[in-house]
Amino acid sequence: MSSREENAMWSIFGYLLSGLLFWGGIGYGLDKWLGTAYLTLIGLLVGISGAIYLVWLRFGRQ
Amino acid sequence: MRDLLRSGAEGGGFVPPSSGDFELPPIFGDNIYTTKPIALVFLSVILISAFFIISSRKAAVLPSKLQFAGESVYTFVRNDLAKDVIGHDFLRFVPYLFTLFTFILVNNLFGIIPLLQFPTMSRVSFPYILALTVYLVFHYVGIRKQGAIKYFKEIMFMPGVPKAAYILITPLEILTFFLVRPLTLSLRLFANMFAGHLLLLVFILGGEHLLQGVIGLKLISPFAFGIGIVLTFFEFMVQCLQAYIFTLLAALYIAGALADEH
Repeated sequence: MSSREENAMWSIFGYLLSGLLFWGGIGYGLDKWLGTAYLTLIGLLVGISGAIYLVWLRFGRQ
Repeated sequence: MRDLLRSGAEGGGFVPPSSGDFELPPIFGDNIYTTKPIALVFLSVILISAFFIISSRKAAVLPSKLQFAGESVYTFVRNDLAKDVIGHDFLRFVPYLFTLFTFILVNNLFGIIPLLQFPTMSRVSFPYILALTVYLVFHYVGIRKQGAIKYFKEIMFMPGVPKAAYILITPLEILTFFLVRPLTLSLRLFANMFAGHLLLLVFILGGEHLLQGVIGLKLISPFAFGIGIVLTFFEFMVQCLQAYIFTLLAALYIAGALADEH
């Protein structure tokens, strides 16, 4: 694997992880605060879409 | 510790290796700073320094075997890691990357060297500190090269993106650059060394335990040792690979901080 691909692989992994952590975390916090149960799921979905969008921005459009 | 557990479970069966096996007692009395991992770190520094001083002392145009070995490691880090990844300004990062690579490699290899047999990097504090140095270096380099404001702006606001999208992606960029990167860098090295050492413990201690059982179990024992030996070779591969990946990613992060556009 070339170093360029190695870089892309670990960057993508990092983005997906931060996406889930950040927006999933916000959803979880809101769930705790408002006493709802579905905001964690929405947060995770928003996070993963944001991360995929970011991956596309970084590596997809060239 | 292990012997105590074993005798405590007399005839009670196999005590599987656990994370407790990585918490080694102090060598001298109660001084917690004299444990085996720390001794190994010092040993690695002595070994690496000695090797490269001796191999480069009588440098000749026609290199001896030792000089050749030392030079090929250096050339590998210089050309394949620093030059290919960082580009034209690579030379000032070679000493750092070279130290990083040899230090991690030797400490990893301690995991399969007879009598030492403990990968230092399976204690998580060591990878944490190494990742912290990488973290400081690449942010410092980026700030020096582009100026603090431009550097952070570049990380947070990617050009050519609709403004509304920043709400979605800016937190992810910040989290990735300042938290996920150093964390994955250190945890990848730690987890590989930890799991590898645990795997070897399972098969080799398991083989030893089978040897003490009834005749049927004694016959199975060589297979456990056999897998242990195969895994030792596998571990050798993983140890080299992890030293390489850690250094490669450090170089990539530095390259990213130096570039005007990520």
